[in-house]
Amino acid sequence: MGEGSELIDKIRAKARELLQGGRVDCFIGYEEGSRGRARPAFIYDPQDAERLIWDERCAHNLVTYLHQFKSPLRRGEEPPRVGILVKPCDSRSLNILFREEQIERERVYVVGVTCDGVRTNGRPQERCRRCAERVPLVYDIVMGGVPNVLGRDDYADVTKLEQMSPRERLAFWTKEFDRCIRCYACRQACPACYCFECVAEQLDPAWMGIAIDLPQKQFFHAMRAYHLAGRCSGCSACEEACPMGIPLSLLNRKVAREVEALFGYKAGQDAETPPPLATFKKEEQLPM
Amino acid sequence: MTTDYEPRIVGFLCRWCSYPGADLAGTSRLTYPPALRTIRVPCSGRVDPLFVLKAFQEGADGVMVLGCHPGDCHYMEGNYHARRRYALMHRLLEYVGIEKERLLVAWVSAAEGRRFAQVTTEFTTQVQELGPWGGMEGRGGEGENGGGK
Repeated sequence: MGEGSELIDKIRAKARELLQGGRVDCFIGYEEGSRGRARPAFIYDPQDAERLIWDERCAHNLVTYLHQFKSPLRRGEEPPRVGILVKPCDSRSLNILFREEQIERERVYVVGVTCDGVRTNGRPQERCRRCAERVPLVYDIVMGGVPNVLGRDDYADVTKLEQMSPRERLAFWTKEFDRCIRCYACRQACPACYCFECVAEQLDPAWMGIAIDLPQKQFFHAMRAYHLAGRCSGCSACEEACPMGIPLSLLNRKVAREVEALFGYKAGQDAETPPPLATFKKEEQLPM
Repeated sequence: MTTDYEPRIVGFLCRWCSYPGADLAGTSRLTYPPALRTIRVPCSGRVDPLFVLKAFQEGADGVMVLGCHPGDCHYMEGNYHARRRYALMHRLLEYVGIEKERLLVAWVSAAEGRRFAQVTTEFTTQVQELGPWGGMEGRGGEGENGGGK
């Protein structure tokens, strides 16, 4: 972030240029929110580009909002074209959406920013300490200086959990999942969770009961972790959104780690590699 | 664990190989433990990992997914997909506290009645040793379906 206001001016100028030139109909970035926080901003008018900001409070994964731009704003029109500000972590989510053909690459103008890590309520996010990618992987233009820091994920917390006995792990997750209030904030915040009808709400077949009880919650979280296999880019949006503080990234990172170990696949690195569970190799030997 | 405990085992059997395999075990008068509840599916690739989770949630102590040997799938590639899915599913289940020994993925062909009986017997013993699974059952006495729908 470093050079601060200069970078913000560049982002505002780019957004203005894109909107004025008709390249995009809407620019998604961050603006000043209430109580000293940053919030997502949807800029339709070039004049409003002045509202855009960029600093370490900009933690949201804006890619989630792209799903709202998949269909036309008015009937009979083309779906809108969107400009979007992405951090390196968000860019991985973007790659996943491109790979899954959720939005056409041409419809999106990607303004990438290099990132030294973001903060929530003043504290650095855990995932930023682990982040090894400080430059966006997909962009039309990239801004910001050379990042100062580089993290590494040693999966220490995952390993610690792995070393417990199954019953201890069950007790651990039971305690965590028991706090869940089934608000689905994790799902709503997740850029990779975009089913029209979620298994959690499907009535026919009714996979999950409506009761807010432990079996349903366990089922929901295990199901969601599996659905994100090879698709979770580790943006921690779910964990940040969770009002009950359930360590969802502890679950998702385990799956991501296993996907990498088994299939040599890391989610969101590009928009071409087929997802690991939609492909196979005949000769591969997988431990069962 | 008492030895007379009979586990509840749900078996998803592929319509082309393992189900006829089970049939052959029957017509060959082979015996295997009655703990198994079979569910016939078109292909092991049809078995969504959700089915397995749901079975555990509804009170199964063990789940078997049986399909054709790799290369023999009636639909050419269904079991290759299943193989990938369950390699991962095993690890996820274990991580959330369901012993991986409670899920068996095996390949049994239509000619392998003896193998079917053997696999089922071994798996039943394995689950018996682990004891009842009850981790996903409700706390509120909502019947034996674990407080489901």
